[in-house]
Amino acid sequence: MGAWKGENELETTVKSKALQQFQEATETIVNPELKKWIEQGGKVVGYFCSYGPEEIITAAGMVPIRIRATGSTGTELADAYLSSINCSFCRHAFNMGLQGDYDFLEGLVWLNNCDHVRRIYDNWIRKVDTPFTQMMSLPKMTTDVQVEWFRDELKILKEALEKHLGITISDEKLWKAIKLHNQTRRLLRQLYELRKKDNPPITGAEALAVVVASTAMPREQFNDMLKELLEELSDAEGITDYRARLMIVAGILDDPAFIKVIEEQGGLVVTDSMCFGTRILWTDVNEGASDPLTALARYYIQDKPACPRMFDTQPQRSKFVRDMVKEFKVDGVIGERMIFCDLWTGENFMLGGDLKEEGIPFLKLDREYIMAGAGQLRTRAQAFLESMGR
Amino acid sequence: MIVGGCDVGSATGKAVVMKDGEIASYIIIPSTTKPEVTARIVMDEALKKAGLSSLEDLEYIVGTGYGRLKVPFANENISEITCHARGAHWLSNTVRTVVDIGGQDCKVMSINDKGNVLEFVMNDRCAAGTGRFFESMARVLDCGLEGISSLSLKSESPAIITSQCSVFAESEVVTLINEGIEIVDIAAGVNNSVAGRLNSMVRKVGLVEDVALTGGCAKNEGLAKALEDKLGVSVKKLPQDPQIAGAIGAALIAAEKLSKQSEAIPS
Repeated sequence: MGAWKGENELETTVKSKALQQFQEATETIVNPELKKWIEQGGKVVGYFCSYGPEEIITAAGMVPIRIRATGSTGTELADAYLSSINCSFCRHAFNMGLQGDYDFLEGLVWLNNCDHVRRIYDNWIRKVDTPFTQMMSLPKMTTDVQVEWFRDELKILKEALEKHLGITISDEKLWKAIKLHNQTRRLLRQLYELRKKDNPPITGAEALAVVVASTAMPREQFNDMLKELLEELSDAEGITDYRARLMIVAGILDDPAFIKVIEEQGGLVVTDSMCFGTRILWTDVNEGASDPLTALARYYIQDKPACPRMFDTQPQRSKFVRDMVKEFKVDGVIGERMIFCDLWTGENFMLGGDLKEEGIPFLKLDREYIMAGAGQLRTRAQAFLESMGR
Repeated sequence: MIVGGCDVGSATGKAVVMKDGEIASYIIIPSTTKPEVTARIVMDEALKKAGLSSLEDLEYIVGTGYGRLKVPFANENISEITCHARGAHWLSNTVRTVVDIGGQDCKVMSINDKGNVLEFVMNDRCAAGTGRFFESMARVLDCGLEGISSLSLKSESPAIITSQCSVFAESEVVTLINEGIEIVDIAAGVNNSVAGRLNSMVRKVGLVEDVALTGGCAKNEGLAKALEDKLGVSVKKLPQDPQIAGAIGAALIAAEKLSKQSEAIPS
C-alpha cells in the first residue's frame, strides 16, 4: 500500500475554459451553447441510447442530443406509470419529460434497445406533447441481413423527418453530417490517446464530461472547443500522484461525480467501455462507402463496439476490455450496473469471470442513476485499491 | 513501537493500542453524533487504559470505519474492509472468509494466507443483516440484543421469517407474536433470517474455511450457530472480542506503515 492519504484531489494541471464549459454541460440539459442554438430558432431532437443515429438528425439541420436525466430530483410523476423494477434512469428521464423539462425538443427518437426504455416510449407518446416521435427497430443480431434491416429503419426515420419538416435530406447532406460526427469521434480518440501516457493530462471524471458534452452541444462548436482543449492538454505536465490506473465498464453513466469519488481515492480512470465513452467514439462511419445510409447502418450494427443487448457480442466486448487493459496500462477494472439492468448484470458476471482468469483485479458496483451515498461507493473503491496492494 | 487503530463505526467506536505487536488495551464506546468526538473519546480512554498519557505516545495511527475520514489525529485512513480482514487474520491465521456484521452494514471478505482481501461483497443499502435489523427485532420482541442470542439458542422449532427487509420482517414478527408463537422460536427465526442473508453473501465470494465472524453482531452466538447450520461448516471462534477486529487491523497496518517509514529513513 502506498502513502495515499485519501485527501488528494486528482485534476488536470491545465486551466481550460473549454473543459470548464464541457463540465458545465454535464450539469444541465440545456447548456449555454444549446440555448444559443434554440434562441436562434434552431431545432433539437433527442434520442435514447448510443444507437441513436445522430447523423440523420444533423443532416436534417437539427442538433441531436442524447437524453439524460441530469439534475432530476425525483420520480414521483413517472412512478405513476412505470414500475419500481424499471431502472432509475428511465424513471428519472420520463419524470423530466412529464415535468416539461424536455418541452424544448422538436422530436424524440427511441430504439427498442431495452425493455425499460421501450416503456418510456409507450408512456411518453401518450403523456408528453413532443411534435415528432419515432420508435426505431434495432435488430438483435449483427450480420449483413440486419445491416439491410437497419438501413430500412434509417430510411424510414429520414423520410419521416423530411415529411415532418417539409425538407429533403440529400445524400450530400448525409455525407456532410457523417463527416462532422466522424470528426467528433476522431477528436475524442485523440483525447483518449493522451490518457495512455504515464502521466495523463486529464482525469477520468474530466474526460467523461468531455464525452457527455459531445452528445449535448451543437457539434461544430463542440469540435472547435475540443480542438482548443487538445491543444491545451498537448504539453500539459500530466497527473503524477495517482495510486492505480483504472478502467470503467458501464452502461449509461453520465455523471462525472461518480468517477470523481473513485478518483478521490487515488484511482485514476484512464479508459472505459461505456456508451458515454469508447462505444460511441472508437470507430468511424466509413466515408468511402457509396451509399450513406448503408454506411451508417453498417457502423451502428457491425462497426461500433456493441452494447450487451446485441446477441453474441460478449466475447468481443470482453476482448476489447482485455486489449484496453494492455494498451492503457490498466491496473484494475470496475464494472458497474444500474440496479434492474438485466443486460449489464449478465455482462459484468461474465466479464468478471474472464478477467479473473487473466488475474486482472475486478470490482463490481451497483448503482442508481442519480448518485446517492458517495460514502458507500468510497468504501468499495478504497477497499478495491487496497486489495490491489495500492 | 506503540501504534493505534481507531474504528469509528455507525453504532460504536473502537480503539486499540498495540505495543510491539501485542494488544496493550482496547475500548468500545457507543458512537456519538460527531465522529471526530467519538474518535477522540475512545482513543483517549484506550490510551489511559494502556497507561499512556497522550496521543503523542502513539507513533502511528490508522483510522477506519464509516467515520474514518473524521479521525482528526489519524496518520491515514484505510477502509474497514481491509482492516477487518487483517484483524481477523491476525487473530486466527487460518481464517480465509471473514463475515463482518456491523451496525449498519454487513460485508463478506475472502482473504489469502497473508490476510489480504481477494474479493468482497457488501450490503449497505438496506438494514437486512445488520445491527439495525437486530435492534428493531429486539424492540418488537422486547428482549434486548442479548436476548435474541440467548432465547434463540433455546428454540427447538424456529419460526420462519421470510422477509429480510427490516420493515417487513417487523410486521411478520408482529404477526407471529399475535399467532401465539413462542418468543424463543421467533428469536431463532430472526437469527435464521439474517444467517440466510449472510449465507448467500458468503457463497458469492466463495466459501473457504475457516470462516470467522467479526463486528458487534458476532457476539450473537445464536446467529453464529444459525450461520454454521446454513453454511454446513463450523465458524471459527476468535480469541479476542470480535467487535474490535477492525481496530486491530487498523493498528496492525499502522505498525506496518511505521516500520516501512523507518526503513526509508537513512540512519
